[in-house]
Amino acid sequence: MTQTSDAPDVLVEVTDLEVYFPIKSGIIFDRTVGHVRAVDGVDLSIRRGETYGLVGESGCGKSTLGKAILNLEPPTAGSVVFDGTDIASLKGEDLRHARKRFQMVFQDPMSSLDPRQTVESLLLEGLRAHGLDTDTDATRARLRELMSDVGLPVAALSKYPHEFSGGQRQRIGIARALSVGPDLIVADEPVSALDVSIQAQVINLLQDLQDKLGLTYLVVAHDLAVVRHISDRIGVMYLGALVEESGGAELYDVPLHPYTRALMSAVPVPDPQVEDTREQILLTGDLPSPANPPSGCRFHTRCPWKQETLCDTERPQLRVVEVSGASDSHRVACHFAEKIASGEIQRHEVEATITTPGFGGPDAGPTAPPEAYIGV
Amino acid sequence: MTQATQHSSRPGAGSSEPLLSVRDLRVTFQRQGEEEFHAVDGVSFDVRPGQTVGLVGESGCGKSVTSLAIMGLLPGRGNRVSGSAIFDGEDLLTLSPSAMRDRRGSEIAMIFQDPLSSLNPVISIGRQVTEVMERHQGLSRKQATPKAADLLERVGIPDPKARLLNYPHQLSGGMRQRALIAMALACNPRLLIADEPTTALDVTIQAQILALLKELVVDTGTALVMITHDLGVVAGLCDEVNVLYGGKVVERGGRHGLFRDPRHPYTVGLLNSIPRLDAARGDKLSPVPGSVADNLPWTAACAFAPRCSNAIDPCTAETPQWEGDQVVGFRCFNPMGGTR
Ligand SMILES: Nc1ncnc2c1ncn2[C@@H]1O[C@H](COP(=O)(O)OP(=O)(O)OP(=O)(O)O)[C@@H](O)[C@H]1O
Ligand SMILES: Nc1ncnc2c1ncn2[C@@H]1O[C@H](COP(=O)(O)OP(=O)(O)OP(=O)(O)O)[C@@H](O)[C@H]1O
Ligand code: SF4
Ligand code: SF4
Ligand SMILES: [Mg+2]
Ligand SMILES: [Mg+2]
Repeated sequence: MTQTSDAPDVLVEVTDLEVYFPIKSGIIFDRTVGHVRAVDGVDLSIRRGETYGLVGESGCGKSTLGKAILNLEPPTAGSVVFDGTDIASLKGEDLRHARKRFQMVFQDPMSSLDPRQTVESLLLEGLRAHGLDTDTDATRARLRELMSDVGLPVAALSKYPHEFSGGQRQRIGIARALSVGPDLIVADEPVSALDVSIQAQVINLLQDLQDKLGLTYLVVAHDLAVVRHISDRIGVMYLGALVEESGGAELYDVPLHPYTRALMSAVPVPDPQVEDTREQILLTGDLPSPANPPSGCRFHTRCPWKQETLCDTERPQLRVVEVSGASDSHRVACHFAEKIASGEIQRHEVEATITTPGFGGPDAGPTAPPEAYIGV
Repeated sequence: MTQATQHSSRPGAGSSEPLLSVRDLRVTFQRQGEEEFHAVDGVSFDVRPGQTVGLVGESGCGKSVTSLAIMGLLPGRGNRVSGSAIFDGEDLLTLSPSAMRDRRGSEIAMIFQDPLSSLNPVISIGRQVTEVMERHQGLSRKQATPKAADLLERVGIPDPKARLLNYPHQLSGGMRQRALIAMALACNPRLLIADEPTTALDVTIQAQILALLKELVVDTGTALVMITHDLGVVAGLCDEVNVLYGGKVVERGGRHGLFRDPRHPYTVGLLNSIPRLDAARGDKLSPVPGSVADNLPWTAACAFAPRCSNAIDPCTAETPQWEGDQVVGFRCFNPMGGTR
């Protein structure tokens, strides 16, 4: 349990959440041969009006966690409580009503926008689904307001998605999410498909809308610099679980988990002076498969601070540690966080291990071998 | 200009004659029923032995087309290429396809963003690496195999002998990119062109690959053309940087000079658009407004003018000309800064 769980300003409370996907046998598809543990025991709370940033590398389970929070992916275990109500208990009309309060913005707006509908009909669809299109004049005014909120001309209403650039399409995706007046927006990689100049425009837009409308955001992204820029608090994920959580500035100043330190040192900074002088912690080897996660601390196969005891046998839980500069809302899942911070434990070399991706592996590549190999 | 000496921070960089000299490269596409489209619009740059040169810019600015034109890899029809790309005294743009094929893979190699599309899915990694050596160095397969294992080890692939037998789909994205780098290095090329080699990879894997490229460039003396949209990658890796916009180089400089004192408003805008890990939260980004859809044609304007906060009258009436040389310079009527 988090220490804020009883505080009144919590909008979303996630407890012991697990989302497992069955792995079916490649040839006969009805046999379950294992599970991808996409989300494997996550506790977190999102406060009203804040931006919570979830960061981690491909396949760590960020999107699945985001979807589970929106009730789009049924949890295997654990619960998601939205504004006091367990969302798993909602059915029918209640669920539809709750859905209005949390919306999603996707990475690729094109794939989530029907190409045959104009922007106006896309937005109307959302309003109608939630019974918000009652009065024609009010609806017209609402559509115009939405366009101006997201920085598009009113004329955009009569155009089709393909007539817009990537950044403009993302604005349409945001307008659609906003149309039903949500409290929470889960934005999954909202800017990662965009060029830097457009990315910055959309980041600023998200921040302005939050100020104006008092929105709560969960921003899911792999880019730590983006997440740090827009988040009040950050959760760092590795193989289905949070390894560290803290305020954004504090995470940068006092990173406690070895993975956070490695991740941070890997982000390129557009300043040659910084690049030449900063410490680089290069990880060796591949990310293990979430279908077959390592025992103990899931990071132990790549951790440059791994110790002979505990690391490969006991799974560390998120906890608050006594380290100078770390506040009591800073949590880390590492057995040796204090000794690493004090320098008592030093970094060492790690033998690289290689992961052969199979079904549901962390890799975006093919999930089954090319046909030519089946049976070879 | 102080910049001329600034960029040669690596051994062998910047001292000698260019290995590759690209001059006034133009690539025009004729799309069905549309006006001609100038994807690359008079690009010139030099690459010296051992030097790492960056081509940076946003989507569609012509980075890939520039490299494909140099490598003779553009689709045969629907485009026109002019200008020159002198490599070792020969113009690559006028070489016969078969002569170009000989250069490719031996003297000049290329790495792409998506290693899966450049590797043959039904041939083992080992076979693909040895094939390059057999073709270009006249080795037998028996001679090439131990060399291939050495190469895989060199690029940081664990247990290389066993990996030779793997097929591309059996390796992770990062390992595949390493395998592709091994293939590119198989014949000790003098020039390596890498087109967004780490864009599809996770950031910790990207850091591994960039460290590997940096090390290889220093060890082998191979010149590297690094194509990327990420100014962070450029800051860590490149001796010299060319910033592209709308098919033209709009600014060039040594690594430190360009970041310390950018002159072109687009370079400045890009730098102000990037959220920085080491910046305080709450600092607002100042993005370049608009999008490339707003560009004017270069023929009688600065293409960037509609998005430029520094624009003055001539910007919408004339083409800004290159001011500077093959080491530093910019293309702008009303540049920013000015201490260099
Ligand atoms: N519907 C599904 N069926 C089976 N496995 C799935 C499914 N969705 C996700 N996975 C697997 O669950 C794991 C976590 O996936 P998820 O999409 O949540 O990761 P992510 O952190 O969002 O990664 P990315 O940065 O690549 O988007 C991955 O190994 C993925 O392959
Ligand atoms: N075969 C082609 N036919 C027509 N137009 C093309 C072709 N290849 C590229 N283009 C156009 O040329 C321009 C430059 O493309 P290029 O691929 O070089 O961009 P880039 O700078 O590499 O961008 P990115 O960062 O997206 O890879 C783009 O507008 C593109 O649409
Ligand atoms: S628990 Fe052990 S292996 Fe895990 S991060 Fe801490 S030191 Fe590394
Ligand atoms: S030439 Fe004019 S419009 Fe173009 S970048 Fe310079 S100041 Fe801006
Ligand atoms: Mg995802
Ligand atoms: Mg490209």
